[in-house]
Amino acid sequence: MVSILHRKLWRDLRLRRSQFVAVIITIVLGIALFGGTYDAYQNLTDSYHQLFANLNTADMTIAGGQTDAIVQGVKGVSGVADVTTRIVADVPVQVNGDHKMLGRLVGIPSGGQPSIDQVDILSGSYPDVSAPVLIEQHMAQHFDLKAGDTIQVLGTNGWVDEKIAGVGASAEYLWPAESRQQIIPSFDDFGIVFADESLLAALPSTGAHTEVLVTYKSGVDTKGLDQLLEDFAKNNGATNATPLADLPSNAALSEDLSGFQEMSLMFPLLFLAAAGMATYVLLTRLVLSQRGQVGLLMASGFRKRTVFAHYLEFGLFAAIVGAAFGAPLGGLLGSVISKMYTGALSIPATVTTAHLSTALIGVVFALMAGALSALAPSMRAAKLVPAQAMRGLIPAGKGGSTWIERVVPPLGRLPARWKAVLRGVGRNRNRTLSTVIGVVLAVTLILTFWGMIDSIQVLLSRQFDQVNRQNAQVYLTGQATPDAVAEIAAESGVAHAEAVADLPVSIQSTTGQYHTELLGFRPDTTLHSFIVKGHDVPLPSSGVYLGTSLEKDLGVKVGDSVTIDVPDVNIHTTQTVAGFVSEPLGTYAYISLPELTTLAGGANPANTVYLTYAPGAQPETMRNELSALPAVGAFVDSQALKSMAQQFMGLFYAFVGVMLALGGLMAFALIYNTISANVAERASEVAMMRAGGISRHTISRLLTSENVLLTLIGVIPGLLFGYVFAYYGLSVYSSDLFKWDLYIRPTTYVFTVIAIIIAALLSQRPVLRAVQRLDVATVVRERSL
Amino acid sequence: MNVIDLHSATRTFGEGPTAVRALRGVDLQLDQGEFIVVLGPSGSGKTTLLNLIGGIEEATSGRIVVDGIDLTNMDEDERTEFRRSHVGFVFQFFNLIPTLTALENVQLMAELVGKNHDDSLSALDAVGLADRADHFPGMLSGGEQQRVAIARALVKKPPLLLVDEPTGSLDLDTGRQVLTQLRAVADRDRRTVLLVTHNAAIGGMGDRVVRLHSGEIASIVSNERPLGAEEVEW
Repeated sequence: MVSILHRKLWRDLRLRRSQFVAVIITIVLGIALFGGTYDAYQNLTDSYHQLFANLNTADMTIAGGQTDAIVQGVKGVSGVADVTTRIVADVPVQVNGDHKMLGRLVGIPSGGQPSIDQVDILSGSYPDVSAPVLIEQHMAQHFDLKAGDTIQVLGTNGWVDEKIAGVGASAEYLWPAESRQQIIPSFDDFGIVFADESLLAALPSTGAHTEVLVTYKSGVDTKGLDQLLEDFAKNNGATNATPLADLPSNAALSEDLSGFQEMSLMFPLLFLAAAGMATYVLLTRLVLSQRGQVGLLMASGFRKRTVFAHYLEFGLFAAIVGAAFGAPLGGLLGSVISKMYTGALSIPATVTTAHLSTALIGVVFALMAGALSALAPSMRAAKLVPAQAMRGLIPAGKGGSTWIERVVPPLGRLPARWKAVLRGVGRNRNRTLSTVIGVVLAVTLILTFWGMIDSIQVLLSRQFDQVNRQNAQVYLTGQATPDAVAEIAAESGVAHAEAVADLPVSIQSTTGQYHTELLGFRPDTTLHSFIVKGHDVPLPSSGVYLGTSLEKDLGVKVGDSVTIDVPDVNIHTTQTVAGFVSEPLGTYAYISLPELTTLAGGANPANTVYLTYAPGAQPETMRNELSALPAVGAFVDSQALKSMAQQFMGLFYAFVGVMLALGGLMAFALIYNTISANVAERASEVAMMRAGGISRHTISRLLTSENVLLTLIGVIPGLLFGYVFAYYGLSVYSSDLFKWDLYIRPTTYVFTVIAIIIAALLSQRPVLRAVQRLDVATVVRERSL
Repeated sequence: MNVIDLHSATRTFGEGPTAVRALRGVDLQLDQGEFIVVLGPSGSGKTTLLNLIGGIEEATSGRIVVDGIDLTNMDEDERTEFRRSHVGFVFQFFNLIPTLTALENVQLMAELVGKNHDDSLSALDAVGLADRADHFPGMLSGGEQQRVAIARALVKKPPLLLVDEPTGSLDLDTGRQVLTQLRAVADRDRRTVLLVTHNAAIGGMGDRVVRLHSGEIASIVSNERPLGAEEVEW
């Protein structure tokens, strides 16, 4: 008995091989993507850990304060393995002759690797007195720098040539982020240079600071020790204490790792949901078309559970074949993704292991998807009443007027055919529910990701067009004096220039401390907008504006006091929080320049110049002309930062694009399933209407209307869910690095609804073609109308 | 005047050696107001004959004229138009739309030909179901549903009513009620009724009884005194 059913199973599969192959391919993709992304996540995590271990990366980096006291104190703390110091300075550098940019010079000892935060020499050799600098690999690649080349560093007495010893990679700067505020660097404008300590010692003291690097013994309570050292550092005047996890590079890569982790769940979930949906559609139609056969089997003595198992096997078969191909493919993909990702980011160490546990989880996922999707159709087959099934009749369901007709009595005067449409919506509650849920899911999926794209585009535009209004920023070789600013402003193509103070700052409240940059602008500045509670407001004459995330992180509110430490200009003061500014990227503090000057004891704290271009000025020409000025030490193109930010969103857009396509596919599959069932259930009615003289066109129109009505019912909750999910999705990514407020363009709602309706209309095309082809005579004969 | 005029009507399914000749050169003429019963075993061509006359199927050869309209060479759209105004169908399974009331099921067809609410109510009244107008099919008995189906077919006031096994799924008493209504359509409304069945007992009700065998008319017998529905036993 069972073997005959297996033969039937095999033949049914062969008969519908193209549909089953499509389902299997979807499962293969789902499992392979799961394996690929999850293995990549594990491999990348292992790669980073391996690199951190190999290069003895600092577990804690402390900046500022009483360095000697901190070193001595930290050495005595239980769990600390090693402590060392180094000098770090952000100074203008010049590469390839005339390209001026900001370089972060990181001091390394003469004669050998530091004990902590070592550098992996990728080419050339370790720096010495004759060739005192080692270029970080991203900068080296961008400017095609190699051992033997020369860069210029702005020293106390002007530009000094420094020979390059080689190219290196650092675990601390796996991703060369300038700070947590500027996590996306422009390689044109910022780079890392490892420099012999003697070179750093010769630099002007302004801008240079000493860091204490600490490593922990293995097995210690990292979080506990982090907190202990942070408190200790703070008590000794440190401006910043950064655990390994919070290093800008590490924080940026962690965002990517979380992305991989989420993708490893989201992608397979979506693909398996799509595969499950397709299997469900396929089997529902199969059971529907085999009602007569099922009735005969059961009338002939086949047990319900045998029939149930028979149809369940279709789903399991697709799952097993899908998993058999998908799991090994996933292992392979994991290795490829790991290599490609580490290659793209130039991460030197790469673990590319295929994990057996990942493959096994993938197989379980596939089996669950296959079994779950086949469950409902199999149960439906097992529950068929043999006599009814053998007649091929499908129960039509009960009638009744709809609530909307009761609420809107004039609808009672609609023509009968439109009443049929209205009532057809609620005719089969299960089908209505499944369609509405499907539409809700699809709309949610589309709006969630489309909304995220909207938000990011809008917020990038807000950051780079509305908040940051400057076209460029230049660092000067000296102070940003009024004369220096006037010289910049007088340059051809410059419309407006302002002196701005951009200084490292430590902000402390009673509950926390945050290290960022303090920006001092003219009170009447036109180069920066301060968005407080949605309004563009001027800088306060006293007090400071803080980034919104500090409201929570420092536990302060407007009117509270915070302690401000600006070591570069010897400011230690208490300021009132005048407001919180909404800025998508980074978390800064703002103060008026006159106020900052007063706090600095009258000394000019401005160290940079922001400027805008005159209409028609070409950014590249402006870069060249301004860089050529002797007073200019480094140049930052603000629009290049925007382009860079958009470029880094590429992967995210690709991810979201796939989600959008899947959303459409899901809508298509679900609606197709519903309409198929709808028409199959009504073949006799449709034939009767056709026999009665109702045209095919009218019937198609009636079915289409019912379908669109069902779709629209699902659209409204779908839009609500989509909004909530997009809000949640963005909030997950929000931190002091990025603050993604949800902004969905009105057109996105409209396009989402249109996309779903188009999916609904397209999905019913095959069914409507079936209506067009419906042979009334055949139905009359087969069903004995 | 002949409402139906068939000349050598033939219907063949398939081609070559596997071809099935469902109807082989049938000649048949029916008058207005006649009540004709077509009898025959399964596969004799009863339903094919009904489908050809109703314009559901196209004859392979021969000529079919209904109510003065030649169905030969009509395309599907033209036959749809023809069915809309000239034919009413009643099938074994009533195929009422479950989400519409009895009255609305009738209106569905009435609206096709511009008939109004009162026409639909009259049609229901004619089959004795005016008081059940607001009931949904699920609330009606099998006989009542079939009578709604008759009203639905009649509301267009077609000259020809084609009925396929109307009592096939009804018990004797209910079947008699339905047959009474059908007979009245011919006697009272002067419409031609062509009833197809394999139930020989119903043959006694026909003005004429056409017997089909293997796609050919085996006999046409006139009943001098057609039986009333209440006299029919099966």
